Amino acid sequence: MKRRCRAVGEWLRRRTGCDRVWETLFARHIPEAEGPTAWLYTLGSATLFIFVVQAVTGALLAMNYVPSPDHAYDSVRFINEKVLCGSFIHGLHHFGASFMVVLVVLHMLRVYFMGAYKYPREGTWMVGVVLLLVVIGFGFTGYLLPWDQKAYWATMVGTNIAGQTPFVGPLVSKILKGGGEMGASTLTRFYALHVLVLPAVVLLLIGIHLFLVVWHGISEPPERARRRGEGNPLG
Amino acid sequence: MTTGLGRCPCESEAEEQGVTRRGFLAGAAALLAGTIASVLGAAGLSYFVSPAFEKEDENWIDVGRASELRTGAPVKVDYVARKRDAWVVTEKRSSVWLSNLGGGRFIAFDPRCTHLGCPYRWDQGKQEFLCPCHAGVFDREGKVLSGPPPRPLDRFPVKVVSGRLLIRPVDEKGAA
Repeated sequence: MKRRCRAVGEWLRRRTGCDRVWETLFARHIPEAEGPTAWLYTLGSATLFIFVVQAVTGALLAMNYVPSPDHAYDSVRFINEKVLCGSFIHGLHHFGASFMVVLVVLHMLRVYFMGAYKYPREGTWMVGVVLLLVVIGFGFTGYLLPWDQKAYWATMVGTNIAGQTPFVGPLVSKILKGGGEMGASTLTRFYALHVLVLPAVVLLLIGIHLFLVVWHGISEPPERARRRGEGNPLG
Repeated sequence: MTTGLGRCPCESEAEEQGVTRRGFLAGAAALLAGTIASVLGAAGLSYFVSPAFEKEDENWIDVGRASELRTGAPVKVDYVARKRDAWVVTEKRSSVWLSNLGGGRFIAFDPRCTHLGCPYRWDQGKQEFLCPCHAGVFDREGKVLSGPPPRPLDRFPVKVVSGRLLIRPVDEKGAA
């Protein structure tokens, strides 16, 4: 059995170079860090993990959700009350969304305060900032979908804030809402952004971001803290 | 300065004793990852396959008080059937012929003739059901007396629950 496994592995290795891909992605050299500092390095991976959870739970929720004012609320209630593990999956997606925003912000703070955005990693940083905005976009568009009072009025406030922009405000607000009034077209618009547009954008950006992370390697903790032998770069 | 990929001599020493630090950590990580993946996977899988465990909606329809239905002539009763399709509830207007045989026995007839589905009527004088389309004739129990109908009138399940008469309209395939 073991010998057969090895044979299959060898077959794959010769044809795909999967061992070298594995080495490049997972067996790469990373900075030596201890204590709290080491934990700060996990924020990016944690975000990636939450993203996968959001993608999977989101795909499941989409199986029962209808982005239409007459069915949106009822279909969400159906998920929570009738579908097996429905409230759990919905809950994961709901709280995962908040948690993801928290994680990306912490991740950004870590990179900022460790100076990890500096040469040659400016590209990674810039893509990361766009990713932060995309994550917030996910949060904003997803918040409307349950179509309850909170969702409706929060989006009303959000689109009105956009409407306060000088000159282009009313235009932006109208485009966001898909019309002058919030309604059916707002819901379908937000749904399409949430499940089609933003996922495509986020996948592309995550691809670039991760490529750059692997390409440049992980930056080391700041010099001063390291020489002092203290784990905490913030101190 | 980097976490070594190469093995230090101490490790190979420990390896001989069975458990290495690296091996232990890899195992612990795999265990954690497996636990998380199986919890999420099980929940996701249950969600995905939940239609298979859906309870069939029985769809009994209240058509009035049982005591108000006199014995004698069958009565045509109109009702609105509310059918639940996941989060969508549809209402369908329909009717049923009800007959009180006395002694708590009721019959509910499908209002469509068994020949080609025309609505039939009750002829009070002849005490028969008459289908106007092709002259099918049934007696008050639904048996074919004459004409082309291939079988007696179809019946719906009937029951009386706390004085209310409930029927369960089912089509030929038995679906409610």
